[in-house]
Amino acid sequence: MKNFKHFNAYSMDEAVSLLRHYGDRACIIAGGTDVLGKMKDAILPTYPEAVINIKTIPDLNYITESGGMLNIGALTTLSEIGDSEIVMSRYPALAQAARRVASPQIRNMGSIAGNICQDVRCWYYRNRNNRFSCLRKGGGRCYAINGDNRYHSIFGGSVSGGCFAVHPSDTAPALIALAAKVKTSSRVIGAQDFFEVKPIKTTVLGTDEIVTEIQVPEPLPGSSSTFLKFALRQSIDFPIVNCAAMITMKNGKVEDARICLNAVHVVPYRATESEKVIVGNSLSEAVAEEAGRAAVAQARPLEHNKYMVAVARTLVKRAILACGGV
Amino acid sequence: MTNESRKHICPYCGEIFDTTDGLKVHVFKVHRGRGLPMAEGWIRLTINKSEYNLKVEPDWTLYYLIHDVLGLTGSKQFCDRGTCGSCTMIVDGKPVLSCMMLAIECDGKTVETVEGIAAEAHPLIESYVNHHAMQCGYCTPGFVVTSKALLDRVVDPTDDEIIEALAGNICRCGTYPQHIIAVKEAAAKLRAKGSAGKEGK
Repeated sequence: MKNFKHFNAYSMDEAVSLLRHYGDRACIIAGGTDVLGKMKDAILPTYPEAVINIKTIPDLNYITESGGMLNIGALTTLSEIGDSEIVMSRYPALAQAARRVASPQIRNMGSIAGNICQDVRCWYYRNRNNRFSCLRKGGGRCYAINGDNRYHSIFGGSVSGGCFAVHPSDTAPALIALAAKVKTSSRVIGAQDFFEVKPIKTTVLGTDEIVTEIQVPEPLPGSSSTFLKFALRQSIDFPIVNCAAMITMKNGKVEDARICLNAVHVVPYRATESEKVIVGNSLSEAVAEEAGRAAVAQARPLEHNKYMVAVARTLVKRAILACGGV
Repeated sequence: MTNESRKHICPYCGEIFDTTDGLKVHVFKVHRGRGLPMAEGWIRLTINKSEYNLKVEPDWTLYYLIHDVLGLTGSKQFCDRGTCGSCTMIVDGKPVLSCMMLAIECDGKTVETVEGIAAEAHPLIESYVNHHAMQCGYCTPGFVVTSKALLDRVVDPTDDEIIEALAGNICRCGTYPQHIIAVKEAAAKLRAKGSAGKEGK
């Protein structure tokens, strides 16, 4: 790694003022498992001048439930979330997602906020020393369109530009399915509106904005949630496709459903078509099958990732069945 | 921030107080018995029960500090990207990847490396040798450290718990089945030692 200035921020205000001062030339570090990899490989055209450590900010590591809301501090590690009694019993999709991220060591280091703010894993984008100056870095083209795109988007590229790199987070679809909100140093954003594709950016966060808390509303009576992940290996692997679902049942019928796929599109992909299929129906194998087909009806796979359509369809079906206990 | 208000910032935690007395009370109450914070670039680290005061560069990882600078060469670097587990160290009781941690952020932490585990004659070392849970041996220190962290937490781990705990360590020689046997034997030895110790008292 090249040298850089290192700051320990002792309060959120201090971190924000450092970010204001350095602008794009600074980066925030919490667990560091994503940002240090990026810096070691020097994948970006620019190298951060300053690294701001927010682990020194007190009281950002907590899981509390109060007033119909689960509050998770930004620095809470994924293993703390995965092992939390409250999260496991009341918000199973989030606990299951946190437990499936990477490896036990990385879960001990990585924070929940870092998991949703992580950068994409496209191998052209991540290639060492900025070898492929792609669209996502402000360059001229997306190399995945004609290149090896077996792990890229099956729902088309981003509207602005055409980057096909998928969002790799495991907890993001769980948070979207659970209708969570992301609290930052200046506002509260719905988890679904939190993700955005811009050069060197995966979120809507401003240059001086830091995630401080994740807020998950209390599950409604009769609701259940689940998270499923398909990856080539059981651990230390990013998803090929993952899927989180929360389904609320009333009198044997589905009253409300939120289903979210990830790693299939440039941002987490809410499967609204499948939600429409199951709402008002009772859950059965046939309905879940139909919902799975509806989820991928709009899919436009690239040359090498057609298999992901079948994986996504099956995961949606299985997630629905797992929620309904069928 | 004016100079006047700067006077009342707690040097340990950054909390701001209106008066000097308020700060005094706070320091005595919360940070009693702690040394003053270190100068910039200096960290205080406990490695295998010995205390160190070290001057580190911002871009040094914890692995670089311990392996290259301090010369504790037990932990190994393989991928340097947090995907293999061979650089695992126990930091504040939890197994973490030392290649993905900045040394400058480890101020005040307690680190346990494979040397420390060997020095305390932990039964894991012997059972790893007995069951030959290695071939080339490069990943073995990482496995031993991760297993030690598991045994600190769980007295009698099941097969599934061991597999789950060691999921972050990669062995390209494929010695995985032996690790389960070795960890279980070490756990049994530890339990025997623990109950013998209690009876002795």
